[in-house]
Amino acid sequence: MGLKSLWTKIYQTLASVRTGIFLIIVVGVFSAIGTVILQRPTSEPSELQRAYSPETLMWLDRLGLTDIFHVWWFLVLLCMFCTCLIFVSVDRWPNAWKVYANPVRFATAPFRASLPQSVKIPVKDGPAALSVAERIMGRFGFKAETVTENGATGVFAERQKFAVFAVYFVHFSLLCIFAGYIVDGTVGYRGNIMVPEGQALGQITLRDNRGGESKKALPFLIRCDAAGEDTYADGSPKKWWSKLALIENGKEVASKMIIVNDPFVYKGIRIYQSSMGQSSTPKTLVFQATPARAGAPEQVEVPLNGKTTLSDGESLSILRWVPDYYIQDNEVYKKSDEPENPAVQLGLTNAKGETKKLWILYAQANTTQGQDSPYDFSLKGATWAKFTGLEVSHQPGQFGIWIGVVLMAFGLVIAFYTQHTRVWATVIDDGKGGQLLWMGGTTNKNRDRFQAKFEQIKAALQEELGGTTPVKNSENTLTKA
Amino acid sequence: MSQARVEQQRPASGAALLVLVGLGIAFALLVALLAAAKAHTGPIYGEANMLYAALVFYTGAAALYMGYGVTGIERYVSTATLLTALGFAANTAAVAHRWSIAGRPPFSNMYEMLLSFVWTLALLTLIAERAYKVKIIGSITMPITVVSVILMQLLPSDVRPLVPALQSTWLQVHVTLAMLSYAACAVSFALAMMFLIQDDMKTEGFQAITATGMIAVYAGMLITRFRSGNLAVTAYDLDAKQEVMISRGHPLFIQIPDLGWLYLLILLSAVVPLALYVVAQVKKDRSFFDIASKGMFITILLQVVGLAIFVARVKNGRYGAPEAEGLYATAMPANPFLLAGIVGGIVAGLLYLLLLWRREGLQKMMPSADVLDTVTYKIICIAFPLLTLMIAAGAYWANQAWGSYWSWDPKETWAAITWLVYAGYLHMRITRGWKGRRAAWFAILGFAVVIFTFFGVTYLLPGLHAYAAG
Repeated sequence: MGLKSLWTKIYQTLASVRTGIFLIIVVGVFSAIGTVILQRPTSEPSELQRAYSPETLMWLDRLGLTDIFHVWWFLVLLCMFCTCLIFVSVDRWPNAWKVYANPVRFATAPFRASLPQSVKIPVKDGPAALSVAERIMGRFGFKAETVTENGATGVFAERQKFAVFAVYFVHFSLLCIFAGYIVDGTVGYRGNIMVPEGQALGQITLRDNRGGESKKALPFLIRCDAAGEDTYADGSPKKWWSKLALIENGKEVASKMIIVNDPFVYKGIRIYQSSMGQSSTPKTLVFQATPARAGAPEQVEVPLNGKTTLSDGESLSILRWVPDYYIQDNEVYKKSDEPENPAVQLGLTNAKGETKKLWILYAQANTTQGQDSPYDFSLKGATWAKFTGLEVSHQPGQFGIWIGVVLMAFGLVIAFYTQHTRVWATVIDDGKGGQLLWMGGTTNKNRDRFQAKFEQIKAALQEELGGTTPVKNSENTLTKA
Repeated sequence: MSQARVEQQRPASGAALLVLVGLGIAFALLVALLAAAKAHTGPIYGEANMLYAALVFYTGAAALYMGYGVTGIERYVSTATLLTALGFAANTAAVAHRWSIAGRPPFSNMYEMLLSFVWTLALLTLIAERAYKVKIIGSITMPITVVSVILMQLLPSDVRPLVPALQSTWLQVHVTLAMLSYAACAVSFALAMMFLIQDDMKTEGFQAITATGMIAVYAGMLITRFRSGNLAVTAYDLDAKQEVMISRGHPLFIQIPDLGWLYLLILLSAVVPLALYVVAQVKKDRSFFDIASKGMFITILLQVVGLAIFVARVKNGRYGAPEAEGLYATAMPANPFLLAGIVGGIVAGLLYLLLLWRREGLQKMMPSADVLDTVTYKIICIAFPLLTLMIAAGAYWANQAWGSYWSWDPKETWAAITWLVYAGYLHMRITRGWKGRRAAWFAILGFAVVIFTFFGVTYLLPGLHAYAAG
């Protein structure tokens, strides 16, 4: 087989509706499979390991069945589907264009015989009858033009001829959507970032389909000025909000309060509110200070990076905060970030400027007794900084999607709710020396409705042309009386 | 065969059913009124009462429409239409009451979506009857509304506040479009079924296929899950919301006592009609078909009982397993294949019963096969753009709420599959001239996928859309 015939073969295969339907079925079946088998990265690796035996999981991974919607062969299927759409459209384009730009304007005898709707009425004056036909066509919304071919004269009119392009709109819109999807899949990205109140961060975490993580720097920093959660009476979340500011080259360039469903868009990058939480870093710590000699205990709240003055004028600050500590060689170390076993080093500064360092080792003894302090401090509580969980995405292809959606809506409306109708009229011999006015029409859909309309046109013609009964059909076997 | 049945069942006049339905409705409403007066729970026009009234009226309408289908007595229809309208009014009141309490349209969970779906379907039925003069359509759509309203009673109906992700006008747009397109798909399904009834499809062949399918389903279930009279199901940890595993890839199977015997019985009951079919074919004696169709009725009944017991025992109760100490709970989502098999068998059986319903009187009342075929196509021409817009609105909203217009979430994927099925239907019809029976089967397949997208995905394949189940 030569290269050319191979190409012809491929072209013919892909340009057939049958291939298209076959691809639709295959894509549909694999999509369905993808909803039954657990997919990465939506499902955690541990879930997959629970659900499938190691052997099964290995094969599922190898065949790409645990990530069907991103595996190469699924993308190949989608691309074949696109190619099919293109070839089908190209293959049928010349015909559609001919119908649109260069329609059959004059109804010749063989063409007349092929029309499903037609009528013949005996007339005396041919040209006058033709002008009557033209006027009646106009009355029914057909703007007729007079055409001559080989010396014979006729009239032709058509309505909504753009309907032939409906299918191209729909197919092209699908291509737009796929193109947008592919652009987003290759140059787009999506990640998340946790920004504690008062901080500015600019690095998002991307998750790949294997469950791995990587970092990506944004072209700006996101500063969270405030964040909060409103709840309903029953405690379920009602509203999450964050006041964000974007800092580019050290300058604040934009700011907005975002909520769920109302993202922040800046230079094609969209920032979404996705979750809300408490950071494990306290905003303030609350202590009870009991004077060592005599007096009532007092509650003091100390900011993590500030100080508070006690009632006798001494000031209290936090020197070190260790959320989860352990002691080695008489030194306090951090074990984890979970604030479950905290240690706090306090600084108590008197009027002379002398600072006394005091440790509270919460789990051992929540007290500073025995550290030679004028107060006995104990940790009573803390307020925690909020952090806002943001989703950051850059999807430049989404405009293709929305253009595609609009085009498709447009195309479907044309495809289903408009119809291309054409009518012709001409004067022919009846074979006995007399003349007949012939009129016929066709439509590309809604045959029954057009039939009813044609009957009305027919009735109007007969009324104007003298009420003679239409001639019995001899020329055209397809005609219905 | 069908002639004989008509003569057996034709009542002397239509009055009996009318009186029966009337009395039934009066009794149900009276009981409810007394109960409501005694209980003092909320206003009489409240949602629960109105929904109950809607259920009563819809049931009456369904009975009369089906009575019309069986007997062909015209005057059933006007009463049925009146009852549908009354039910629709009560349904509207229920929707309005819920709307005013919640301060938002009722679209946020399965209960509320069913409430809206039933409303839309009743409205479309009334419109189809008025505008297209398809009187018989109610005999398929009204039973669907009755089943839906009963289903709603099993779902949590408390008014819950909207979680942040649902607080968007796109919720209304998306769900309204979904309801409209799904209701249109339901109507196209009803029309396609009517086409098959009108088109003189041979029920014997369908019966044999259905019975074979049922045998395959139950044989498969019993081969894998039969444990000396018990039925093995996957254990499910209700707190952790995951299956209980023995080791990697090996879930723990607990045994529901004696359910295995029941399923064995169902298998045998499905073998009988198939055997009779074979006998009828071999002996060329049509009388065996009649016995076979009675056998089908029994097996379908048994399957419904089997499903009810399965659901009841899965929902309440803990069961043991030889491999593990103690008792474990189980849940529907842990046993998707069992559930899909059982429900699939019943649905196939119900389709068969619908086809069996054919009789000459009914055929005379229905529009001609050609008209039904065309109207099915026209309805799909309405459903398909709505489906497209529903998916597009969902994508746009997802882009606002989740940061991605397409996540291959199971609900999204199945919506796309639905779209592909209907796109396939349109292409086969427009370019390859598929009409009649093949097109009707395609339309039925489309609605089956719609049903799976609506219920199956919500309960069997939870994903991002999981809040719908709440």
